[in-house]
Amino acid sequence: MPRTVGIDLGTTYSLIAYQDKREARPKCIPGPYGTPLCPSVVSVDADGSIIVGQAAQRRLLTQPERTIYSVKRLMGRGPADVQDELKIFPFRIDPASKNVIRVRLGERVFTPPEISAFILRELKSWAENYFQDSVSRAVITVPAYFNDAQRQATRDAGRLAGLEVLRLVNEPTAAALAYGLHEQKRGKVAVYDFGGGTFDISILKLISTSDGDIYQVLSTNGDTHLGGDDIDNALQSLAREEIRGLGVDLAAHPDTVQELRKALIAAKHELSDADKTAIKFPLPDGNVYFREISRAEYERLIRPIVDRTMGPVRQALADAKLKPAEIEEVVLVGGSTRVPLVRQTVEQFFGRKPHAELNPDEVVALGAAVQADILEGGVNDMLLLDVTPLSLGIETMGGVVAKIIPRNSTVPASAQELFTTGVENQTGIDIHVLQGERELAKDCRSLARFQLKVPPGPAGLARIEVKFLIDASGILQVSASDLRAGTEHSIEVQPTYGLDDAEVERMLEESIEFAEQDFSERQLIEARNEAESVLTLTERALAREKSEAPGELPEEERRSVEDAVVALRESLAGTDYKRVRALTDVLNQASTPLAERMMNRALATALEGKKLGEV
Amino acid sequence: MNAASTTVTLSATCRNCSAPTNGALFCPSCGKIQPLPRGADYFSFLGLPQKLTLDLDTLEQRFHSLSWKLHPDHFVRATEEEKQLSLDLSSQLNDAYRTLRDPVARVEYLLSLSGMRKEGQKKQQAPPELLEEVFELNESLDELREARDSGGSPEQMQGLRAKLESAQHKFESSLADVDQELAGVGKDWDAAIDSAADEAAGKKLMERMNEVLNRRSYIRNLVNGVRQELAVT
Repeated sequence: MPRTVGIDLGTTYSLIAYQDKREARPKCIPGPYGTPLCPSVVSVDADGSIIVGQAAQRRLLTQPERTIYSVKRLMGRGPADVQDELKIFPFRIDPASKNVIRVRLGERVFTPPEISAFILRELKSWAENYFQDSVSRAVITVPAYFNDAQRQATRDAGRLAGLEVLRLVNEPTAAALAYGLHEQKRGKVAVYDFGGGTFDISILKLISTSDGDIYQVLSTNGDTHLGGDDIDNALQSLAREEIRGLGVDLAAHPDTVQELRKALIAAKHELSDADKTAIKFPLPDGNVYFREISRAEYERLIRPIVDRTMGPVRQALADAKLKPAEIEEVVLVGGSTRVPLVRQTVEQFFGRKPHAELNPDEVVALGAAVQADILEGGVNDMLLLDVTPLSLGIETMGGVVAKIIPRNSTVPASAQELFTTGVENQTGIDIHVLQGERELAKDCRSLARFQLKVPPGPAGLARIEVKFLIDASGILQVSASDLRAGTEHSIEVQPTYGLDDAEVERMLEESIEFAEQDFSERQLIEARNEAESVLTLTERALAREKSEAPGELPEEERRSVEDAVVALRESLAGTDYKRVRALTDVLNQASTPLAERMMNRALATALEGKKLGEV
Repeated sequence: MNAASTTVTLSATCRNCSAPTNGALFCPSCGKIQPLPRGADYFSFLGLPQKLTLDLDTLEQRFHSLSWKLHPDHFVRATEEEKQLSLDLSSQLNDAYRTLRDPVARVEYLLSLSGMRKEGQKKQQAPPELLEEVFELNESLDELREARDSGGSPEQMQGLRAKLESAQHKFESSLADVDQELAGVGKDWDAAIDSAADEAAGKKLMERMNEVLNRRSYIRNLVNGVRQELAVT
């Protein structure tokens, strides 16, 4: 029987998990590095091969123009939507992009679903290695507040990765499933899910019935462009401003920007435990940006970001008709809930200590695996009732939106609308479908437009009933019937932002060139790519050492690095990926003192001539 | 009394095995899922009489029990036709639950079943007992907008705000009164069903409910309008 896996396709990391029937709990499947966290980074090599995960993450430093991270931010969006994002993220959007964004990576152009498909393909290969068997069915999680276009883009990504997507599950709901299974609790639960790029809040009721346990979502809210990325960006703005004060503009150094980002993320992680940390960052002009930052200063900087999560929290509670004190459990999900200020803010609001026993990185993937098991029929005493996060409406006279399915309706949900002609011999009725809470069409998210064709006749004679149905994945289906003729009425729905079926088909054909490579061949490509990037970094460091501090590197150390370089280069000519990996590790170890030496020297230069008190 | 036009067709046969289904959602003979019987409405779907006072706990229990049976999660391995039926039925179940658990939507739905829900022709016209208050409100709103455009003093704005807030409270309490009234007519309707009153009496009650609904919608728009105005002031 085919296995159905659960996938958390995250902004920063993606994971794949599976519920083994013989075991009580689901578990995450580790990749080649032993960790189940796959960085959601994709890089395209000069020879056209695709690199995903840890190896791609390293290429952010060496080949930033061929590498992309946080692509989830672009899913289901048009070029006009992401102008703000472009100021901060190094996305290279193809100027020819129309309703679907196209991103340039090296010589090629990809849509966000295609890039996400590479990540899914990588995870799929992890699972296939683990099972030593093929995997073709999946449940994929999405932010609860994702709109129809963002959900469709995610489903397209699954298809392009060769996966049958049985269901899209909302991330906080998946977390609640994993949590409920773990804690055996009942009652009203709030799931606060603050991830790398998205924020969701869901209010659920966990009920025991004679048939089994029901997880009923009462309301959901969020912001699909609010996450840990924003904290990184706040730190980055601060640092770049200060670096500009030192006379260096990093705009001219894209690879340095990525290294700075890496250093700042490390500082952010340290500030989750420590009261202060120091950022020591060598600049392209040989100086060092040295900056101490205290927890208090950090919290002042990020408080506006954390506060932005509370509006959706209040709205979700109001929609569920509950007060904060009526929530019996608060569950924290997502890497950004490691930030102490986030925990404090949530605890203060609900007046109770939130749960964080489950690993916030893994819990969503684990819940997706549980849902996969439910769909396979493995678990038959759990039922998930989720809601649609946004109201569905159609445009009426004067650009006003008539809501036909209100937000927080349990899905599947449907609405029927009757349409007729307004003037004699009118041959078509235009319908514009939107999602959102605002009154006017221009302020809502356009989902699709279509035209109902009618035979010419007197005004008001045609009677076409259109059925709007939001399925259990939160995706809209539209069908129409001609009530007078008693027949199905065919319609062609053109998505406003997204790929139509023909485009997905074409991409599927194109993607065959990336399709299933032999397992060891794939391993070899990955090992080679990683080796190349370590070699580039090492050679760059050696050259810099030679020019900046000639004669200082002990002969012994230099020789061990050079020997490792030679050995690794030799192994690249062969096809033994294990040997390439092992020698990459040797080089990594041999070059560690070199990297430390450089950092120390850069730091010493920066501090030269300063008294201790000024540091 | 013949409450609306619910005659559930019981003569249907199973799509799978052709055995008579007696209007059941699952064939008594082969157990396969069936379409909703012709003429079924939200009340009958949830096994409830067409009454307006209902026990929300019972409603929720019925909703949950039917969700178990109909949800698409349990039809992943079924045929395409069964999958579609599960999708249709569970969406209708969710729509039914959403409508019936809300006391106002419940009345609107009951009226729509017999074509008795008629939105007010003169939507803009205030109910006579509120005429004076609506007149005052419109005056304050004009003053407020004018003051806002010409940059009124903080004291002036404060005063106008207070005026609007008191109007808001007034209309909110009118809204609560109307809701009470609606619940009252609902009880009359339930009593008429219990005593099998004649059709004319039922029709009269529906007309009354329709009138209360129109008045309610007018007041609710007022409340929303004032709320919005206060939010931007």
